[in-house]
Amino acid sequence: MRSTDTNQENGTPGRSRRAVVRGAALLALVGAAGLTGCGLFEDEPDPAPDLITPLIAGALELAARYDAAVAIAPELAERLRPIAEAHRAHAAELARVTRTALPTLTAVTPAATAAVSPGSGSAQRRAAVLHGLREAEQAGRDAARTACAEAPAEQAALLGSIAAARATHLEILR
Amino acid sequence: MSGELAAALAAEHAAIYAYGPIGARLTGDAAKQAREAEAAHRRRRDSLVLLLTTRGDEVPGAAAGYELPFPVTDEASALRLAVQVEERTAAVWRAALPATEGAERTRALDGLTDAAIRATRWRRRAGIAPATVPFPGRPA
Repeated sequence: MRSTDTNQENGTPGRSRRAVVRGAALLALVGAAGLTGCGLFEDEPDPAPDLITPLIAGALELAARYDAAVAIAPELAERLRPIAEAHRAHAAELARVTRTALPTLTAVTPAATAAVSPGSGSAQRRAAVLHGLREAEQAGRDAARTACAEAPAEQAALLGSIAAARATHLEILR
Repeated sequence: MSGELAAALAAEHAAIYAYGPIGARLTGDAAKQAREAEAAHRRRRDSLVLLLTTRGDEVPGAAAGYELPFPVTDEASALRLAVQVEERTAAVWRAALPATEGAERTRALDGLTDAAIRATRWRRRAGIAPATVPFPGRPA
């Protein structure tokens, strides 16, 4: 008994050391849950990156498509540049709310260029460029609509705005 | 959830009212665009009234009159108001998104999307560039 008493005197810092270690382990777990979105803890909002990550990549790819289209048909720049910027703003906002890093775009080769043969006339070239953008934008709008429908409440408004924005882009491409 | 849908209904009532003075200052294609927009708002109002009634929720009625944010005296001010009406409607539907799920969230998303598209059409007609905004319905 005596010996345990003396141990207990020294035991207090010992327990708190263990508590610190447990705390650190817990933090590591929370960190892992935050990264993978497993939702280990009930009150931890699920960042659901499975919905968002492909949307971020999709938004950056759409932006790159518009950039490529402007390079092919510079006369469309005034119409298309604001849309490219909107897609980049969407990617940045999605990355911000999910606290993920914005991926750097390295190897995107938009198909917009492939559809246009070098010798085609300017009207033909413009039509091909717009057609390619419409298809990509439509697919993007559908993806954002699906994501909005499935999203947790805290992401529904942002995803809804992105889906609506893509619908307005289609209006500009008409 | 019903609070947000009731707010959407109130916004649809106000939009229908606003298209009265807007349409009166427009001619030709612009007047047609205003009639179509008003008809779309009436359809949305009717389906919302039906939904809220079916659920036994409170169904807000239209006010006798609405104060316009500025006088509509010519084509330019009519177009400006049309843009504003659609932006406001978009914002109210967007606010309903987090409060809804399933078919009702889709309904709210359609309300937001349609209003955003009409806002874009009105901005184009008014010569406002760019005619799109990055986050339709988001408070500025």
